[in-house]
Amino acid sequence: MRAFVPLLALLCQPAHAQGVASGNLPAAPKPKLSGRPFPATFTDVAASAGLTMKFVLGRAGTKKYIVEANGSGAAFLDYDADGLLDIFLVNGSRFEPFPKGQEPISRLYRNAGGGKFIDVTAQTGAGRSGWGNGVCAGDFDADGHTDLYVTYWGANSLYRNKAGAGFEDVAPRAGVTGPPAEWSTGCTFLDYDRDGLLDLAVSSYAGFDVKKVPLPGAQPWCLFKETPVFCGPRGLPHGRITLYRNVGKGAFEDVSSKTGIADATPCYGFTMIAADLNTDGWTDLYVACDSTPSLYFRNQKDGTFRELATEAGLAYSEHGAEQAGMGLAIGDYDNDGWLDATKTNFIRDYPNLYRNLGKGIFEDLVLRAGLAVNPQYVLWGTGLEDFDNDGWKDLFQVGGHVYPEIERKYPGEAYANPRLVYRNLGGGKFEDVSSLAGPGVAARHSSRGAAFGDFDNDGDIDVLIMNMDQPPSLLRNDLSSRNHWLKLQLLGSATGATVTVEAAGRKQSAALLSQSSFLSVNDPRLHFGLGQAEKADRITVRWPSGRVEEFGPFAADALVPLREGTGK
Amino acid sequence: MILLASLFLLAQAPDPDALSERATGLARQNRPQEAEKLWLAALKIAPGHFAASLNLGFLYHSRGDYAEAEPMLARAVRSQPNDFNARYLYGAALQALGRSDDALRQWRQAISIRPDHAKLLQIMAVEYGKGRYFRESAAAAARALELQPDDSSLYLVAIKAHQDAADHPAALRIAEAMVKRFPSMARAQFEYGYELHRAARPDEALPHLKKAMELDPSYEEPFFFYGEIMVKEGRWEEAIPALRRTIAIRRDYIAAWVMLARALIGHGRLELAKTELLKAIEADPKHPQPHLLLSQLYFRLGEETLAAKEKDLSLKLRRENPEALESRQGRPFPAAVKP
Repeated sequence: MRAFVPLLALLCQPAHAQGVASGNLPAAPKPKLSGRPFPATFTDVAASAGLTMKFVLGRAGTKKYIVEANGSGAAFLDYDADGLLDIFLVNGSRFEPFPKGQEPISRLYRNAGGGKFIDVTAQTGAGRSGWGNGVCAGDFDADGHTDLYVTYWGANSLYRNKAGAGFEDVAPRAGVTGPPAEWSTGCTFLDYDRDGLLDLAVSSYAGFDVKKVPLPGAQPWCLFKETPVFCGPRGLPHGRITLYRNVGKGAFEDVSSKTGIADATPCYGFTMIAADLNTDGWTDLYVACDSTPSLYFRNQKDGTFRELATEAGLAYSEHGAEQAGMGLAIGDYDNDGWLDATKTNFIRDYPNLYRNLGKGIFEDLVLRAGLAVNPQYVLWGTGLEDFDNDGWKDLFQVGGHVYPEIERKYPGEAYANPRLVYRNLGGGKFEDVSSLAGPGVAARHSSRGAAFGDFDNDGDIDVLIMNMDQPPSLLRNDLSSRNHWLKLQLLGSATGATVTVEAAGRKQSAALLSQSSFLSVNDPRLHFGLGQAEKADRITVRWPSGRVEEFGPFAADALVPLREGTGK
Repeated sequence: MILLASLFLLAQAPDPDALSERATGLARQNRPQEAEKLWLAALKIAPGHFAASLNLGFLYHSRGDYAEAEPMLARAVRSQPNDFNARYLYGAALQALGRSDDALRQWRQAISIRPDHAKLLQIMAVEYGKGRYFRESAAAAARALELQPDDSSLYLVAIKAHQDAADHPAALRIAEAMVKRFPSMARAQFEYGYELHRAARPDEALPHLKKAMELDPSYEEPFFFYGEIMVKEGRWEEAIPALRRTIAIRRDYIAAWVMLARALIGHGRLELAKTELLKAIEADPKHPQPHLLLSQLYFRLGEETLAAKEKDLSLKLRRENPEALESRQGRPFPAAVKP
């Protein structure tokens, strides 16, 4: 018998339908390390510090719905104004019921000093169960005490700080709960109309109805690498941005339509940042969007906003691709005085390093900066902070896959990942020094939110990290360097202010943010490394009110309070 | 006449072997419809008849009727599990039906019967890669290359497979071997230059890219990649001529137009960048990316109305032509195997 020789014509590779934007990009070449020692060593001290809250979000090991996967933020704040950073951790929930009284709740830990934290949730009224997501901080009632807003899949909470004695949820009274079925994620306080009262912006992620969302694998957007996974965000209705104006006396009104915020193309919104990105003296708004173009709302100085992310270069990747924007950080990485931005994205994609060219025009220089070397991770929380106090802001990123199922089929795609630390070399270049940064960085977790601050007041920046299905990490920075530093505490209506510090001929800027990283809140005291400089010669503060003031000089290695109206 | 004879044969002696032999003869005479009837008749008598099911399966497969081919080939495989051709063709039908994992299962059996079949190994390398079984893809490609080290396309398949498997040292070694064996091939020089650059050895990479450009001035890829590297390094004056050359070779290479405009913007020649973007739009009016960069350029120039207009156009085209965003327009690695 003679059989024909078969002729094969193989098909072209089909586009892999999936629910999230991923660039399928390879790692960029990783240059050799500079050889300079990295003096910051991070050690996880969460357990010994007493931070025991186990973060719950859906079932561990499998995620049926996207609402179980994204995770939550954390906050460094000084709620009792004792000069020590306290910690607030946002908890989630799951669909399977809990025994009565054992529902996970968000927790507040008071910093007792000596590296110890005490759980004060019960006595402060800051605990609540539910599907928590993001947190932002600000003094909305201008009483000098930091308040918190916490977002949920469900009604949101506005925790008014009762002069350091505890919190009360005033969201219903203030009119800022949002619709009861909305899935809110990002939030930020900002004074967009310069009336001295902090307004509030909230992003929602997606329309999510557990009764209507298909199950894993049921639709093309419920697959990842042909593996059935939870559906979304693509395929789900987009979220929206809401802006509430603070009308005083603890009340807010929804001004999303009249300010133009509601006109923006809808997106799957995550982290929000409010700062003056184009240096015109008015607070703008930037939103990281997942699998949709990110949004930049330029303050038009007349009570309205205009969405300009595409034009300004903040919407897409360097090559114009949509990305899965998760976290955001703002800082002046090249010390030119302008606020730059960085955004974290999905696996097989690069983060963004948006260099501010001035006047709010940005250019993504992630490849040139050497930050495109680890696309093997899904990245979430991020901070542009000077970890070694050399006067150049370094970059910290935390990551973790969203699909626990994926590593069973693709062992190279781990659910838990190490953290990443990049040292700023100056000249617009970074190097990956994760392997030099200590056991807290090398440890693998599936992390989400991260907050940056100096919890032990030793003059360096520590990191608080939310881990899926685990207690948080508190990475204490043990810095072996003689570099100097300065901390600035802005007093008054300062959320959104930009500070420029000049020392030894170097100029560096930072902004006081209500939210950044991934749905998280950083230390409200702005930290500047000064290198060998023993003093800061001049400090310029651009307050959200529009006032520009100069302060200084100040000796290094100190916390300096600055109140609006007391400078030159 | 032959058909009548065949039918006579069918009526007189219902021997499935004879029917199948006769059908094969008809097929050789390019009379597939008559052959099909005889093979079907043979299968009616002997449902597990190997030759009839295999050849019918092949007939259907070659007509593109994969759904019809699949049960025939399954029958052939059941009848003779150790027949290479049956496994090979059954895998092909399954692959055409989108059942890649099932296809690979058959091909794994086929290659266990004929481990030296370089062509099948090449096919498997590509298919494993599509299914994201990157390590398996790399192993199959490496074995194929061992068997046929003079086939330049196998080097390309192996380089791609090892790139996908994130085994960049191996990809670099294969590219180096390729450039040694085919030093006058521009593609070989380009792939080696690319891998050297990826390995953070730019000083060694650039001469190979330049060599590729010298060897084949009509091969656009080295010019584009060289230009892209120069843009990333901010070496605008070196980027601009390379990207201009890319466009001269391929006017529809929109990624090169956009990169050229970026280089010109970096060089501070904003008006010229605008002109180039307008030319790109003329070259491919449906591509969203020139509009996107033009929007940003107008914004820089303070022309916000024009910037908004270009943004809207880019969004509209993005929705209408999403494939344009996925393709870098580079020359692909071989995905098909010539018979």
